[in-house]
Amino acid sequence: MAAVRARRRTAGPLFVAPFMVLFVLLFLGPLAYAAYLSLFQDRLVGGTAFVGLDNYVTAVQDPRLLRGIGRVATFFVIQVPVMLLLALLFALALDSGLLRLARVVRLGIFVPYAVPSVVASLMWGYLYGPDYGPFAQLSRKLGLPAPEFLSDGWMLGSLANIVTWEFVGYNMIILYAALRTIPPDLYEAAAVDGAGPWRIAWSIKLPALRPALLLTLVFSVIGSFQLFNEPNLLQRLAPDVIDSGYTANLYAYSVAFTSQQVNYAAAVSFLLGAVIVVVSYAVLLTANRGRSA
Amino acid sequence: MTNVSRRALLATASAVPLGAALAACGGGDDGGSPAAKPASQSDVDKAMTTPTELTFWTWVPDIQQEVDLFQKKYPAIKVKVVNAGRGTEQYTKLRTALKAGSGAPDVVQIEFQYIPTFTITDDLLDLRPYGAEALKDKFVDWTWGQVTGRDGEVWAIPQDTGPMGMLYRQDIFDKHGIAVPKTWDEFAAAARKLRTADPDVYLTCLSANEAGAWHGLLWQAGAKPYATSGTDITIKVNDEVAKKLAGYWGGLAREGVIGTEANFTDAWFGALNRGKYATWLTAAWGPVFLAGSAKSTSGKWRAAPLPQWDASAPSSGNWGGSTSAVIKTTKNPIVAAQFAQFLNSDPESAKLFATKQFFFPATKAVLADPGYVGDAPAFYGGQKVNQVFADISATVNASFGWPPFLDRAVTDWTETVGKSLAGKTDTVVALDQWQQRLTTFAKSQGFTVQAS
Amino acid sequence: MTARRRSTPLTVAMLAALAYFLLPLFWLAVASTKSTQDLFTTFGLWFSDSPRLFANIRATLTYDDGVFGRWLLNTGMYAVASALGAALLAAAGGYGFAKFRWRGDRAAFNLVLGAIMVPTTALAIPTYLLFAKVGLVNTPWAVILPSLVSPFGLYLMRVYAQDAVPDTVIEAARIDGAGELQIFVRIAMRLLAPGFVTVVLFTLVATWNNYFLPLIMLNDPNLYPITVGLASWSAQAVGGGSGASSDMLALVVTGSLLSVVPLVVAFLLLQRYWRSGLAAGGVKQ
Repeated sequence: MAAVRARRRTAGPLFVAPFMVLFVLLFLGPLAYAAYLSLFQDRLVGGTAFVGLDNYVTAVQDPRLLRGIGRVATFFVIQVPVMLLLALLFALALDSGLLRLARVVRLGIFVPYAVPSVVASLMWGYLYGPDYGPFAQLSRKLGLPAPEFLSDGWMLGSLANIVTWEFVGYNMIILYAALRTIPPDLYEAAAVDGAGPWRIAWSIKLPALRPALLLTLVFSVIGSFQLFNEPNLLQRLAPDVIDSGYTANLYAYSVAFTSQQVNYAAAVSFLLGAVIVVVSYAVLLTANRGRSA
Repeated sequence: MTNVSRRALLATASAVPLGAALAACGGGDDGGSPAAKPASQSDVDKAMTTPTELTFWTWVPDIQQEVDLFQKKYPAIKVKVVNAGRGTEQYTKLRTALKAGSGAPDVVQIEFQYIPTFTITDDLLDLRPYGAEALKDKFVDWTWGQVTGRDGEVWAIPQDTGPMGMLYRQDIFDKHGIAVPKTWDEFAAAARKLRTADPDVYLTCLSANEAGAWHGLLWQAGAKPYATSGTDITIKVNDEVAKKLAGYWGGLAREGVIGTEANFTDAWFGALNRGKYATWLTAAWGPVFLAGSAKSTSGKWRAAPLPQWDASAPSSGNWGGSTSAVIKTTKNPIVAAQFAQFLNSDPESAKLFATKQFFFPATKAVLADPGYVGDAPAFYGGQKVNQVFADISATVNASFGWPPFLDRAVTDWTETVGKSLAGKTDTVVALDQWQQRLTTFAKSQGFTVQAS
Repeated sequence: MTARRRSTPLTVAMLAALAYFLLPLFWLAVASTKSTQDLFTTFGLWFSDSPRLFANIRATLTYDDGVFGRWLLNTGMYAVASALGAALLAAAGGYGFAKFRWRGDRAAFNLVLGAIMVPTTALAIPTYLLFAKVGLVNTPWAVILPSLVSPFGLYLMRVYAQDAVPDTVIEAARIDGAGELQIFVRIAMRLLAPGFVTVVLFTLVATWNNYFLPLIMLNDPNLYPITVGLASWSAQAVGGGSGASSDMLALVVTGSLLSVVPLVVAFLLLQRYWRSGLAAGGVKQ
């Protein structure tokens, strides 16, 4: 019996071991190495030297990095609420049972998630085109000036549109799946009480969605602060608007690969990571305080 | 050379890195010393008949034809052609592979302007011990200057070049009575005249994202912005000549008489097709490129030299053009060096580059070939475009140094000078900002920055 | 839900939303029928006079010795291998965390969750350098191995295992004398199937669409997945200097269409699974 219990005690760790081993090797290992690298500096003249926290001091004062972080923070504040609100509305609409062709709509909104960001940026890049984009062509026909999606003032919004297009469906599905698990007797009770669809949505569905919403919110924080693919791919269309430090992640990439300053890039990445952790926890704390209030 | 070291050199075809072999010879290759003892003919013969595989990174399309010529001559050598991306994309991969210590090719395509960026990190093989110096006279003088190091090292073999000229729309000039500008003053006047006459057309577009064109124009104007000597570097991107350029182009941009949109975008292609720009200040690879991407305007273009600052002393600069260089850590230096040399100096191979890929030649032979310079394409109304550029090639200023961190210089240019052109702000101020950024970067990298 | 009156205004509004989501894909389909020249001269959202979809497809598949086909194969291989591997590791790990207790298990789990927040760029170069030391760079493993670790998959499977595999079933099997591994493989995996398929699907999509990781890990174009391959064609289509090719745009567009189709089809066919699997992950915390 003791042997069986012993086997049971070790079973847990053994099941988890394959995952954890790879996790340590492929995640903690490189992370530790990055931390180590960030304490050095590699110069074209003189090679590598230990500089302690110098890279971090430089990074915190680096105007291009600060601009990049500011930009993704702005992006986060605009894009995420819009995207999650739309996802919520769509999920509620699908769950309401008031929709014809619900399955088609659900699938159609989700399909963009299956499209690689390379292709998404290509498609939207073309649609945004000031000469050949259909919107530009249409507005010219109407005698109006062509919308300048790729200009400095519009670019962040244009990027936000692409990211929203790509991920609303994914978030919608998470919320919709959560809605589908609400026990039907709650609805019956509400119907008995005479509650209409709006009241039901507010009192039953929203509270049930809270955990799922929190999940999507945290993922959106992480995703939007790490924005890289879409601006990187749109860069060739508007090289004068999207420079190498347009987002924090783009800056880290260009520092690492174009300027070949791997050490400084490591410090920049850690700083960005710290920002993401702080914002995520702030979001979680605010949400939990809201619940207990 | 002792017997031990001779065997070491023979073994380089299979395993021993060059560094060790040379060290055995007693001559270190630290870039500042005279060339190591040359490989003897028998060493070369032995290496070229030992089965070897070379990896060659290049983005030249259809280069297999030239590679096949080499493989036919040396059947024991197999060359694997890999397209690892064009320009910056490839350089990034190359540097990452070099830093990681594995995955780098034997021979690589490097544009002229990037050579110092790879010699500062000691990544290229000096080709002098492999007979490169004998090729000097085959190549146009200034191209050889571009591949030669401070102490006479030969870092690469020129492949094709890009002397700058002006392609213009004859029909637009005729329509508005504009004469082909011979000086920059005439050019500015023509720009203003054209804008007044036709608000939909600009005389030219100086792209705010194209540092290559800017450097070419600096080159034409006689500037020498970069000079490196060991750990000393002189940066003068905002000297008098540069300020003259900045004042000129910044002024035209602010007046609104030239375009500044990004080049090689869909919108820019469309603009060329629609006749939005009456000229394109471009390099010798421009004519073929234009013929391919602006088919609807065939027959309307002509070629001419750039407008001049001093009409009595015509000059030009270079924009682009590539070379073949050998990576220092290659396991097959003799074979790689022979390949790089053959590819670009063998008469048949060089001719193919000019006729199949339409490269502008770096070899004197092809430039003098009547068949080449006599070519009169219909896109240019039967004008002998190659002859025009061949003449221009002879006026390219003899020397122009590049910085050992060109990526950085280009990025900083785009974010200062380029941005000011697009945003119509003071370009001379932007020029000083560019200077400032480069000086700060150079210092942070350990260079001693000399005042001009 | 009792009264099922369909709301027409709502339906119309949702169909309008649907049109927005499908618009770019419609453009892609239409654009794939055009030649490069037509792409610049005709109206974006309608066909040209001479549609040449099949010619474009043929050109895309044969360009550069059929490298596009290689890219499709690579993508499929990377995605399937990563998805199956990641899901297996997540399933075993999730089951272990859900059904067993040992010292430090909460800390370990929270550590993994925290990993989701680390920016990919922080890891990219060190992973590259470490891989280079062991000679894994520029091999399929460089792309597959990092994709096997899916913190979100682990989280999902743990939540799912907690619900879908009742303790009573496990206890009964133990009393019958079954070993832990047997219980996992024979009983638990069957119950975990929907969650497993969900993780497979989502890792499949993530790896299929992965751009950044293969971009830095791979030099040889023959190893590229579709994303990196298309991006490199796209860059070629506009670059100047020696070797520029201005006819590539049609290939890029058609290639993009061909790269989107397989995943969309997979989605359509496997709808049932990802819905129920996500339900668990979305509801619990």
